[in-house]
Amino acid sequence: MTNIIETHDLCKIYGSHAAVEHLDLVVPQGSVYGFIGPNGAGKSTTMKMLLGLIHPTQGTVQLLGQPMNDRNRLSILRHTGSLIESPAGYAHLTAQENLQIVADLKQVPRKDIDRVLEIVHLREYRRRKVGQYSLGMRQRLGIAQALLGSPELLILDEPTNGLDPAGIQEMRSLIAEMPSSCGATVLISSHLLSELEMIVDRVGVINNGRLLFQGPLDQLRRHSRGDILLETLDPDRARQVLLANRVRVRDGNSPQCLILPALTDAPLAELVRRLADQGAGVVGVTRRTKTLEEIFLSLTEHGEEVG
Amino acid sequence: MLLRCILAENRKLHGAAIWLVFLIVPMLSALYGTFNFLQNLELLDFDWYNLWTQHTLFYTLFFFAPMVGVYAAYLWRLEHLGHNWNLIMSAPVHRSYLFVAKFLVVAKMTLLTQGWVFLLYLAAGKLWARLPGWPPAQIILWLLRGVLGSLGVIAFELLLAMVIRSFAVPVLVGLAGGVSGMLAVSKGLSLLWPFALMQAGMNANRKEDMLGGQHLPFVLACLVWAGIFLAVAALLLRARDVRAE
Repeated sequence: MTNIIETHDLCKIYGSHAAVEHLDLVVPQGSVYGFIGPNGAGKSTTMKMLLGLIHPTQGTVQLLGQPMNDRNRLSILRHTGSLIESPAGYAHLTAQENLQIVADLKQVPRKDIDRVLEIVHLREYRRRKVGQYSLGMRQRLGIAQALLGSPELLILDEPTNGLDPAGIQEMRSLIAEMPSSCGATVLISSHLLSELEMIVDRVGVINNGRLLFQGPLDQLRRHSRGDILLETLDPDRARQVLLANRVRVRDGNSPQCLILPALTDAPLAELVRRLADQGAGVVGVTRRTKTLEEIFLSLTEHGEEVG
Repeated sequence: MLLRCILAENRKLHGAAIWLVFLIVPMLSALYGTFNFLQNLELLDFDWYNLWTQHTLFYTLFFFAPMVGVYAAYLWRLEHLGHNWNLIMSAPVHRSYLFVAKFLVVAKMTLLTQGWVFLLYLAAGKLWARLPGWPPAQIILWLLRGVLGSLGVIAFELLLAMVIRSFAVPVLVGLAGGVSGMLAVSKGLSLLWPFALMQAGMNANRKEDMLGGQHLPFVLACLVWAGIFLAVAALLLRARDVRAE
């Protein structure tokens, strides 16, 4: 599979602060890639480096099979649509006029404006001044600007920011359809994994400028093994057995319940056997599965890298 | 590609508040100038040249350069607001063309302003002062020279408005520039200071041609000043990171 975006050792350093560190991003063609990280993690900086809006301190960017440099910049941007930080636009102009400005700059035929207005459901509001638009409508206009000229690559920075749940749902469906309807590869960022998990097939998790995880969403889900809930008839004895086996224990919700850290299957089976042998009276063992949000939080809080 | 950038810049001016400034400021200047002319007829001859001296005295000293500053500040303010820097800088056009397009659009607005200044001068002379005959054709040449003389200031004000995200600074610099231009002209340094070129081109507050037919050095000075600021802007656009707010 061809990669539409590849960065190698990408860094951006402001004084003593590293906004992005040694980033190796790989976005395959035809994918919807979720770029997840808390606010200030380095998502926007990375996206701006991809588009040549910010000069990397170190490293390389390759988009659409070409290195992003002064020689290739225009040909890359001709096939790229973007929405960075928040929707742009000229408030005193109508949506139609705003799109005409972008169409002029991208050298896109005027008839394409009708197509993108249709896609983002703004056709009937095309003659309204953008200053009178709600945030949701401005976000959709931003997407329309990005879609002009049917780009091969869409780079969307938090396009659901500030939207209400209905708006988020609408934006999600719009973006999820893009690979099939427009043939575009999508790189989309968010600080909420839950917001994207329904539409992305690959994920990159970034925090403090470092990429902590990159891969298929399923692979991230495999890291969902969480704590173990142990229910016993004799919790004091169970606690002694567990401590003797060097297993950290926390109290559960009820006196009979103890919480054990995540264990793989074989050590867990061995532990249960020992508890039974020592008369702890094991009543139940339940694995608690982490939600993707919890995995994301544990990755970003501990800064651990996951292959 | 440059044409596309100019089209986009022109479109941004549709229904823009800047046209109010375009209409009102030269009217104020014409009102002051004509009033002053009519109040000082014991010192001034009752003719079109003397009316011109009074119109340009106020216009070039207080209004011309600040208006260019307003035009420049407005065009960049459109980009500073929202996240339009990201929009224009990720467009598939040469970065320097974005600046050159703004430069040409402000030059066009300056040309239109000069046309409006002439119409007001004509109306003030015929309808208010009731001067006999028609204005000399030379006045039109001076107005066009004013546009040429403003090119360096347009490029400078655009550069300033691009770097400093304040609407007021280019306008205040224009005001100070008008005064400094008059001082430079009085010292015979017209070609060495862009703000003086505007006044020399317009033949401000003079009946005799200040350039005395020396048009080539004037044109070269206008082009050199504009070229310097355009080159600096192109370098900055290429080297600096985009900061959108």
